[in-house]
Amino acid sequence: MNYSVLENIFTYNSGTEHSAINRTKLFNENGIEAKILTRNYNRFLAHDMQLAGVDHHSVINMYDYFQGTTDVARNELPLRLAKQFPLDEYHIVAENANYSWLKRAGQNIGKIEVLPGTVGLISSVTYYDRFNNPTVRENFDWRGFKSSIDYFHMNGELGTQVFLNLKGDPVLEITHMNINGKLSPTMWKLLNYKGKNYRFNFEDQLFLFFINEVVANDPEAVVVSERRNLDYVVADVKAPQRVAFFHDSHLLNPTDGPKSKIKPIYQQVLVNQTAKFSGAFVLTEQQKQELNQQYPNLNVSVAPDIYVSDDDLKLGQTAERQPVILVSGRLAPDRRPFDVLKIFQQVHMAVPAAELHFAGYPASPTYLDQLKDKVKNDHLEDSVKFLGYLNRKKLNDEYATASVLLNTSLNEGLGMHMVEARGFGLPVVSYDVLYGPKVLIEDGVNGNLVPDGRTHAAAKAITTLLTDSDKWSQMHRSALKKAQADRADNVIAHFEDGVAASR
Amino acid sequence: MIFFINATMQKQKSGIEHAELKRFELFNAHHVDSRFLIRDWDPALHDNTKLAGIPDENLIGMFDYFQQATHVKPKRITIDDLDFGVLNIHADPDLPNNRSLVKTAQGQLVARVNYREDHETVRSVELFDGFNNLYRVDNYDTRGFISLSQMYTPDNKVGTEVWQTPTGHVVLETFNRADAQGKVQKSGWRLTDADGTIRVFDTIEELTAHFFNLMNEKFWSVKQPNIFILDRSHLGDWGLLQLKKPAYTVMHLHNSHAGDAQEPMHSILNNNYEFAMNALDSYDAVVSATHKQTHDVEARFHPIAKLFTIPVGVVSQELLDGPRVPVKDRQYGKVVAFARIAWEKHLDDLVRAVGIVHKEVPEVSLDLYGYADASDNYRARRAVEKAIKEYDLDGVVTMKGYTTEIDKVENQAMMFGLTSRMEGFNLAVLEAISHGLISFSYDVNYGPNEIVEDGVNGNVVPFNDYKAMAAAMLKVLKDPKLAQKYSTGAYDSSERYSPANVWNAWQSLIDDANQIWPTKLAAAHMSAQEGVKQ
Repeated sequence: MNYSVLENIFTYNSGTEHSAINRTKLFNENGIEAKILTRNYNRFLAHDMQLAGVDHHSVINMYDYFQGTTDVARNELPLRLAKQFPLDEYHIVAENANYSWLKRAGQNIGKIEVLPGTVGLISSVTYYDRFNNPTVRENFDWRGFKSSIDYFHMNGELGTQVFLNLKGDPVLEITHMNINGKLSPTMWKLLNYKGKNYRFNFEDQLFLFFINEVVANDPEAVVVSERRNLDYVVADVKAPQRVAFFHDSHLLNPTDGPKSKIKPIYQQVLVNQTAKFSGAFVLTEQQKQELNQQYPNLNVSVAPDIYVSDDDLKLGQTAERQPVILVSGRLAPDRRPFDVLKIFQQVHMAVPAAELHFAGYPASPTYLDQLKDKVKNDHLEDSVKFLGYLNRKKLNDEYATASVLLNTSLNEGLGMHMVEARGFGLPVVSYDVLYGPKVLIEDGVNGNLVPDGRTHAAAKAITTLLTDSDKWSQMHRSALKKAQADRADNVIAHFEDGVAASR
Repeated sequence: MIFFINATMQKQKSGIEHAELKRFELFNAHHVDSRFLIRDWDPALHDNTKLAGIPDENLIGMFDYFQQATHVKPKRITIDDLDFGVLNIHADPDLPNNRSLVKTAQGQLVARVNYREDHETVRSVELFDGFNNLYRVDNYDTRGFISLSQMYTPDNKVGTEVWQTPTGHVVLETFNRADAQGKVQKSGWRLTDADGTIRVFDTIEELTAHFFNLMNEKFWSVKQPNIFILDRSHLGDWGLLQLKKPAYTVMHLHNSHAGDAQEPMHSILNNNYEFAMNALDSYDAVVSATHKQTHDVEARFHPIAKLFTIPVGVVSQELLDGPRVPVKDRQYGKVVAFARIAWEKHLDDLVRAVGIVHKEVPEVSLDLYGYADASDNYRARRAVEKAIKEYDLDGVVTMKGYTTEIDKVENQAMMFGLTSRMEGFNLAVLEAISHGLISFSYDVNYGPNEIVEDGVNGNVVPFNDYKAMAAAMLKVLKDPKLAQKYSTGAYDSSERYSPANVWNAWQSLIDDANQIWPTKLAAAHMSAQEGVKQ
């Protein structure tokens, strides 16, 4: 069994989660057992998995595991039907769609919050004392059961979290006390787990214990560390194989080339605990070569982190496109969206009908505001759309209707969005940065590579694609042709080679 | 069901507990089922009720009830049963503090394990996290489970306190929070009932009222009412007025209702009973232990609530039928008193009376049986010692301490003295007359001046008049015939407190409850015929 180790399946996932999710899906569809192990407590996990298109059987969350709730079907629990409220004594008064008050003789004794995006399903109940202090908060899982209880300190800060099994028994508690005068979680205590208690000082110690419990007795276990901040945990897992999957460049300043210092977070695998890993996967041959030269003790293999489904390929065959330039990914400085705006301004002058779509969540609300201000100053509000984070289906629709994908990031391990784009027959215009662009784009064939930071060149390439339909069709066909390499069977063969090589 | 409501059943019982236990015995003898409702949390409750002879079947502690722990098979928890979840630990004994310190191999403190008197059974465990914070104290019930866990705040105060079932389910929480003035106090309670319903309460009084309702529901019957007898007013004088369904509620006076018992008509009310006396007609009945108090309550309040006089002491049939010790076989001049040496008992006056007697009859002596009350630096004992010195009574007056050998002492002594400032009943003087002791008492409300009948079984002398008491004693000491007459009168007068007589008094209360029950049901839109939830 392959185990991908992640923090969480988030509501807004990054490429790392998408990669692990895709790979797990790919493996399971092709008869290779794979699961994702996640660490964070997430009572909306079932919903987030659904949005991310993950089958719940392929994820084991640590808290769910100890709570015995990994395999619980959803049972919608409307707040007005929750049996815990004695409605012959208390009133429930709806304040708005998001929460209601529980009232006793007119006094607010509890705040009942609604699960986001639902009508009246219970999400949490916070009880108040007669001085109006919060005393206890009960947290409900998306699947409709009481999952945890929070107790507060006198000043309202979180005190103790108690996690429950379906019978309501406490199985795990987190205590929040002071470390050097600062309130922090200080203890994770597993209660009566297989008849014993276990105390941990840090969540990752519990996480290690959890992974060991899951992979115990699996002689085929391959534990894949997907996130660099979890490498130190995976390093100590008792399993036949531990590998690290590098989703981005290990270089601190990729523009300096291989001589750049490495990112500190890569220290664990590359320097401190190399011996504990049977190997590392990277996404491109170039990154592998660089690593081989600098870290000869690490067994590095190339493996793709994404595949394109046949359904996507079929959808991508449509040649009916809108004059839309798609930018997919997080709106953050390392992806240089201000460069995108500069490029689009030039394109828009040549092609007034052109639109720019950003699909992805911003690094911060402030950053989004800055981008919007720029758009406003350029008088491009009608042509630039910020779509936010899109679920799988909506994102696929964008890929299938846009004309070109633009990439201006500082560097790319491979560039999942560029792989996805070619699967949908979308030409890609990208800065020529490390590592992915030159692997995925054959300049002038399925897109254009322009020198890093050259907005004018990028604008010119895009303008050509939007105005020269022959050129676009040619690149569209080439993209689809190249995407054959990204099909499941090809990717899986590739991956198996990598695993074999790292043994 | 008939409920006796009390705070707990401590090892050192006061008159109220003794009264309840006598009543329990009487009810059992007449096959009338009853339950002790114990309101306060007490981790040693079942040890003490066992000693007091109360079986678990007749006991419902409020906390026990919520904790689903009314019937738990006791098991002893020692340090070996504890699981700290930490590897490589050892326990260092700390004998002076009757505890062990549990530490890691590196010497970091994991827990302090505090023991009970046997130095082995775990009483409580103070738990520390990996960063040396005391984060919780687990308190064990003597039956061997964690009953109350107190969560600590980073500044080392008790924050939230939670009670759990023997299987570790949290069912009740209370919170300590700062009020608007910044003073930390209990700010609320949160209860999860057995059916999963969650209720919050501002105070323990509200929680108690809910408990009374649950009890009324649990033992509900249209055939007869539940009878709630409130033996400590503060536990339910308000709460019993919150019953949702009808019941028969009884305010039991165990002390003077008036702050100055000698001024029963006009003095400011005894604070313990102020609320109940003002809400008197909200109860169905008021029980006093003496006719005199019943009379005074009637005279002052003219209540609609029924008044019953039911002695809180019972003289056993065995004692009533037992052999009588003639005065000539008793130690001439031996006076005894059974009372705590406390301010309200005013025993220095008794010493003075004996001191006066001693001048004429040197054979007189006084033995004081009872603990010395420590309040105000043993003020009462110091007063007694001063009086002994004043009358030069060294070797005549002896402070004997507490004894359980009442029969032995009272079958040898001749007289009993009582000089209290106030009384609720006084079981000691009842014991005295039932043993044929000639009693001398101040005319003090309530109990002494009814149990002691002047000229029948001794003398009642004016309040605070120890000289008159001395004169009465001298008269008896000088007149053997009179002495025998009073002693015989004492034995005879204890018949008033025979099991049959006291039971008859209770029976009349139960009869009243049953008689008005159909009316109560009808007033609550219920009837004995209709199918009301059983």
